[in-house]
Amino acid sequence: MTFDVEIVRWHAVASWTWNAGDDVCGICRMPFDGCPPDGKYPGDDSPVVWGVCGHAFHLQCIQKWLQSQAQTDQRCPFCRRAWEFKAAAPSS
Amino acid sequence: MPPLQPVGNRSQTKPQGSSKKLVIKPLKSKPSLPADFEIKTWTRLQDAVQAVHAQTPVACSLEELYRAVEDMCLHKMADRLYAGLQQACDQHTKAQIEKLAGSQAADEVLFLRQMHGCWEEHTSQMLTIRSIFLYLDRSYVLSASSVRSLYEMGLQQFRTHLVHHAEVLRKTIAGANQLIEAERQGESVDRQLLAHLLRMTSALGLYDDSFQAGFLEHTHLFYRAESQRLIQEVEVASYLEHCERRIQEEYERCQHYLEPSTRRHLIKVVEQQLLEAHMAALLNRGFDGLMAEQRTQDLARFYTLAARVQALPALKLRLKDYIRTSGLALIMDEEKDKDMVQLLLEMKSNLDDIVQQAFQKNEGFANALKEAFENFINQRQNKPAELIAKFMDAQLKGGSKGQSDEQMETDLDKALMLFRYISGKDVFEAFYKKDLAKRLLLGRSASVDAEKNMITKLKQECGAQFTNKLEGMFKDIDLSRDIMVSLKQSSVAKSKFPLGIDMNVSILTSGFWPSYPIQEGTLPAELNDYQAVFRDFYLSKHSGRRLVWHNSLGTCVLKVQFRKGLKELQVSLFQTIILMLFNDTAEMSFSDIKAATGIEDRELRRTLQSLACGKLRPINKAPKGRDVDDNDVFFLQCRLLDRQYQIDAAIVRIMKTRKTLSHKLLVNELVVQLKFPIKGADLKKRIESLIDREYLERDRDNAQVYNYLA
Repeated sequence: MTFDVEIVRWHAVASWTWNAGDDVCGICRMPFDGCPPDGKYPGDDSPVVWGVCGHAFHLQCIQKWLQSQAQTDQRCPFCRRAWEFKAAAPSS
Repeated sequence: MPPLQPVGNRSQTKPQGSSKKLVIKPLKSKPSLPADFEIKTWTRLQDAVQAVHAQTPVACSLEELYRAVEDMCLHKMADRLYAGLQQACDQHTKAQIEKLAGSQAADEVLFLRQMHGCWEEHTSQMLTIRSIFLYLDRSYVLSASSVRSLYEMGLQQFRTHLVHHAEVLRKTIAGANQLIEAERQGESVDRQLLAHLLRMTSALGLYDDSFQAGFLEHTHLFYRAESQRLIQEVEVASYLEHCERRIQEEYERCQHYLEPSTRRHLIKVVEQQLLEAHMAALLNRGFDGLMAEQRTQDLARFYTLAARVQALPALKLRLKDYIRTSGLALIMDEEKDKDMVQLLLEMKSNLDDIVQQAFQKNEGFANALKEAFENFINQRQNKPAELIAKFMDAQLKGGSKGQSDEQMETDLDKALMLFRYISGKDVFEAFYKKDLAKRLLLGRSASVDAEKNMITKLKQECGAQFTNKLEGMFKDIDLSRDIMVSLKQSSVAKSKFPLGIDMNVSILTSGFWPSYPIQEGTLPAELNDYQAVFRDFYLSKHSGRRLVWHNSLGTCVLKVQFRKGLKELQVSLFQTIILMLFNDTAEMSFSDIKAATGIEDRELRRTLQSLACGKLRPINKAPKGRDVDDNDVFFLQCRLLDRQYQIDAAIVRIMKTRKTLSHKLLVNELVVQLKFPIKGADLKKRIESLIDREYLERDRDNAQVYNYLA
């Protein structure tokens, strides 16, 4: 069956954002899609990471936080549960 | 040295035995001058002086006279000799000047010639007298400090008598001034005569007080009157030309007959009267016109003349004002928005030329130009920044056809220069970003190199902060390409892309790009599938992200059936969504389409209009017309033929059963049978066509009734 209208090519445009519920990082209070205070570029250069507790922060922000805490007592600054990086971040 | 030896033969030459001594005895009586020596000698000299004055031959030779002077001096008669000579000369000079005082010369030139003759005679006679009395001049005059040299004495006497006979001096000076004025009026005068007379006043020490002061006053009045008249009569350019010529003439005057010391004062008076006194009028009345007409030569003259009277700051101010006013008029005129950047560039280039060629590349003027641009261009909010960004966009899209890369770069550089004047850089950035996004997403850039070049330049102008988002956009485009390549090579693509649509996706990092409003639209099933495949693939590579689709930025290439054949169309995603509906349905109403696509009302109307009322019309609309109404019906253009066939078939069907039917009744039946809306005119056309093809005929008695022909 032939159609009177047929698609040959499609150029689609999408934008990506971090899939991190709250729109701002709980540490620096900047949007996830923006830069943390020391970051230069948004996006790939300012990655967002998740803890097993489900809370997300800019990678730079949580690293700074964890460094400021005792090695033996690394907790999520939000829920105070032990901090552990989640292997794969949620996608939707 | 050898010891002196007596020389033998010397004694031989000695006169033998002549040992007489030479004895010098005192004179018996003291030698004395003859008693009449002084009176005789003086008489001889006096005669000679009189002969010189009378210009008659001198009785004795100059040698004799010289000796006579020397003798008198040696015998201590120099003071009396000097006094006698002084008196003789004084009498003569007095007589000469008196003769001038009684001159009946008919005009001043004649008088001046007489004056000059008298002076020439005086100097030449004084020289002759001096050579006769040279000894006196060199001995007595030098040793007695209060006594003038003979030549000086002559000048002194000439001056005394001239000053005494004030009328003679006054006439001389007035005559000279008259000659000069005549020359200023354009007559040719005896410059030689003037030179001689002025040198005379200078030699007599009368130049400064008796001539120069009055002459400068004269000049002042002359040029004051002339400039006041001319400034009213002629336009600025010719006035300036006149000033230049006048100043040149005065310089020449100095070369030819005025004393060098006069030049500075004279030129100053001329400049003051011609230029300084009228500078404000010249600037206010003429400058703008010369600028507007780009009269480079006249402007250069203006500049040099203004520099003479320290009016460059005023000229510069005027220039700034001119640029500000004309620039403001340009950018405030909304009708010129379309060409604003081009016009600004032309204006800038013309002004640069003027600064270069007329204003001697004066840095202060170049700065004034810059400041004026900065001033006026920021008087209108946002628009200039927007239009400069737009101009760059047009250039980066390829500008005018046949433009070389070099031309593109110079045009961009020029626009960048305008951009420098803009203080609202953020406004520019927003527009530049919007345009750049379009170029990148629609593949409209003429050259990637030119794009990157431009970013580098903007970075130099405004720093990395300004451009890092723009650079991020380029990075996104590169990354998107990489993702598409890896998706197409994956097994997913092979198993899940069976329809052969060539899909590409640009994935934007939200922070880099302009924000786009989300616009809803229900994708055709096949595109929905593709989109899901891509999304799954992308999120499997990039965890922790979500994707937002920008339907309004999507584009497609379609193959569409037209009445005249298949055509490939470049369309928007919304146009695609609408067109694809017609593969399943012959015709749809506006509300059907709205329900099926989920496109927002205004966007939908606009898109339908573009499809049904544009140049190419893949879709036809009933009724025709530009506005999209809620009750309008749409169908593919290629199916128009089908409709004609349906109408024809219905007419034949009805007429075959009824055999004879009036027009009105036929139309009524047709409306019942045909399910699509039709216009009476279209039906009439179909009926005519069937009559032509001899399916029907008009009844012979009633034209409103048709008969069926078997």
